[in-house]
Amino acid sequence: MANSGLARMEGAALSNAAGEPAAKAGRPFRHWSSLRWVAVAVILVGWFVYYPIVDNFIVSTTDEDIFTGETTNIGLANYERLLHDPVVWVALWNNTLYALISIIFQVGGAFVLAALIEGLGSERQRRFWRAIYFIPSAISITITGLLFYFIYQPDIGLLNAGLRRIGLEQLIQPWLGSEHTAIYAIIAMSQWQGFGYSTLLFAIAIQKIPRDLYDAAVMDGAGPLRRLWSVTLPLTREMTGLMIIVTITGAFQVFNEVMVMTAGGPNNRSQVLGTWLYQQGFIQNNFGYGAAIAAVIFAVTMITGAAQLWYTRRRRIEL
Amino acid sequence: MKYSIQAAMAALAAASALGMTMGQGIAAEAVQADANAKVDYQGTLSVLTKFGAQQLAPYLVGVAQHYEKLHPGVKIELIQESDDSVKDKTKTLVASNSLPDIYFSWTGSWGGNFVRGHRAVDLTTVIGPDTEWGKTLTPAAVQAFMYNGKYYGIPLYLDAKFMGYNKQAFAKLGLSAPKTFEELLSSCETIRKSSMTPISFGNKEAWPAIHYVGQLLAYDVPQAVLEKDFNPSTAQYSDPGYVAALSQYKQLIDSCTDGGASVNGTSYSSAIQTFSNTKSAMYYQEIIEFDQSASADSALKVSDLGFFTLPAPKGAKGDVKAIEGAPEGYMISSASKNIPLAIDFMKFVTSKQNGQVLSASPYGQPSATIGGASESNMNPSVVAGLKEIASASYLMPWLDTVNPPRVASAWLSSLQALTGGSMTPEQVMEQVKQAAASSK
Repeated sequence: MANSGLARMEGAALSNAAGEPAAKAGRPFRHWSSLRWVAVAVILVGWFVYYPIVDNFIVSTTDEDIFTGETTNIGLANYERLLHDPVVWVALWNNTLYALISIIFQVGGAFVLAALIEGLGSERQRRFWRAIYFIPSAISITITGLLFYFIYQPDIGLLNAGLRRIGLEQLIQPWLGSEHTAIYAIIAMSQWQGFGYSTLLFAIAIQKIPRDLYDAAVMDGAGPLRRLWSVTLPLTREMTGLMIIVTITGAFQVFNEVMVMTAGGPNNRSQVLGTWLYQQGFIQNNFGYGAAIAAVIFAVTMITGAAQLWYTRRRRIEL
Repeated sequence: MKYSIQAAMAALAAASALGMTMGQGIAAEAVQADANAKVDYQGTLSVLTKFGAQQLAPYLVGVAQHYEKLHPGVKIELIQESDDSVKDKTKTLVASNSLPDIYFSWTGSWGGNFVRGHRAVDLTTVIGPDTEWGKTLTPAAVQAFMYNGKYYGIPLYLDAKFMGYNKQAFAKLGLSAPKTFEELLSSCETIRKSSMTPISFGNKEAWPAIHYVGQLLAYDVPQAVLEKDFNPSTAQYSDPGYVAALSQYKQLIDSCTDGGASVNGTSYSSAIQTFSNTKSAMYYQEIIEFDQSASADSALKVSDLGFFTLPAPKGAKGDVKAIEGAPEGYMISSASKNIPLAIDFMKFVTSKQNGQVLSASPYGQPSATIGGASESNMNPSVVAGLKEIASASYLMPWLDTVNPPRVASAWLSSLQALTGGSMTPEQVMEQVKQAAASSK
């Protein structure tokens, strides 16, 4: 049986390789029979991933009262309301800021750090530094949020105490309480936590680069910076592209950090789309409007991901 | 490929149609409690509580265990949430039509939502003022859960806001409890000179500011105007007392706290800790927090905890004998499969014996049951606070639960801005008016 199965598979491969007409003749049967094997997965993915996306869009065109169960179809009114909601624009800017700063630190900074660590001579040292930078990523975001709440505490917080000790009293701030610094304080905490994880991923990508490419570059007289620019960077482009997508989508889906540290305050100045969605749906009972905000998040992350994938594929380097 | 796309689209459309019927809220029907219904002591009762805090959690666990022992066929499942998380949890359960048999509720528009959506059992026949059970409870507390002339809530404890102060610190500085708002401001100046924080105040959660402002509004705005403004269909928010109250609040922030932005960056639990550690002279707190402020284990001892109502400003045009506060309690889900059992359990919870345990340390939640507080085992400040509540001419409800969600949200965010100094009292009222107009 196994042999006949193999023969069928080989036959199928041959007919595919032989030309289109043969392949087309057998395709409908093979297509439907193969669907049986993936049907469960397709149904599960359809139900739990794609159906909620469609349903979210349907909900976003309604005004629903969760207490009475009454639903009114209001077309695109929630989207129109989005355009005139000043907090949405604050949130969108905060998400963008989150993405930009995260790209600088968690992609750019992590890449440089990974290259430095992987350039160390001893494996023991490399392991040590990878672990040191990775540890913050292993801490739960809720615990990190609480930890940083105490670091940023205006009176007894570590940050203000440190500034006072080194004579920089003029920089002391109520970091989470000021409308001007709250979002930056949250973003800074997020960099502290995510930096090590990105570094580890870049380190893995760098390890995959054949050593002889570096040896050749050295023989050509390339210094460390030149090797970083001409060997490491092009050969980690796919990882860089992936990290940019992950960072941007993560920045537009950010929620926990903000909820734990400021809940979007003071005066909504640290709101991000995720927390404003939550506020609208679960605090103000505007589930339809919350769904419209969710649709915006989906659109932004989808477009960003697609654009980045397209760009990375165009510039892929095969080894 | 053509077939697969068509098949996928058809499947998605079918799933979508099915999902629309499944996922959306189902309109509930009004349910009335039957006073003569026989209780079947079998089955499971789920209870969503607001006693998730470490100090309070054991109370209902103990009561549930006792009830289960009396009725071996009954199992009580407690879902214990904190003050903040119970709001989100409740709405998630409503949205998914999964409300437990018994659930926590505030009074005002919060409880009104359940009544409007027929999610709560009409308990008039069992808890109304003339009923056997109703007569065992404080009348004003039962009244607070009345909607459209019917009674829907089971009050468990009474709550009100008072300014707690460190008696020793006041005595050392030659101060006594201030009688007017102006005296309070001048006491703050004296305390600040001693390098102590006059009032520890954390407003990271945004609702603590609402409590100060609510009390000042009761003093500055006539009760009839307030109640008209709490109703979305008649709200105007044009009384000059609103701006006056907000200006007084701002004065208090500037004179008595560590500064508006610091206040917004501090959580209320850190603020109560500061007071409890005797690092501040005052902390504006609910009566149910007295036992957290001062205990045998804290730096602030029970005998050193004093309290006074936030003093009224001179010339206030509202009700100067009003106190901000409201009872808190429970409702029974209209979807419950065993309503008589749920009522029976709540009668047990609100019994005099259980009330006395709830009122005493370490819980310190003054029971709404008549005789449910025994002075002998209670914090003396809680006993005195209960007397103040009893003599109040009006209980001013919490602004964030009495108002519709959009207005409540406007109060919360704009008061944070006023606290931090980025909005004026007039701008705050403009925000509130706009939110009220869009909630009509």
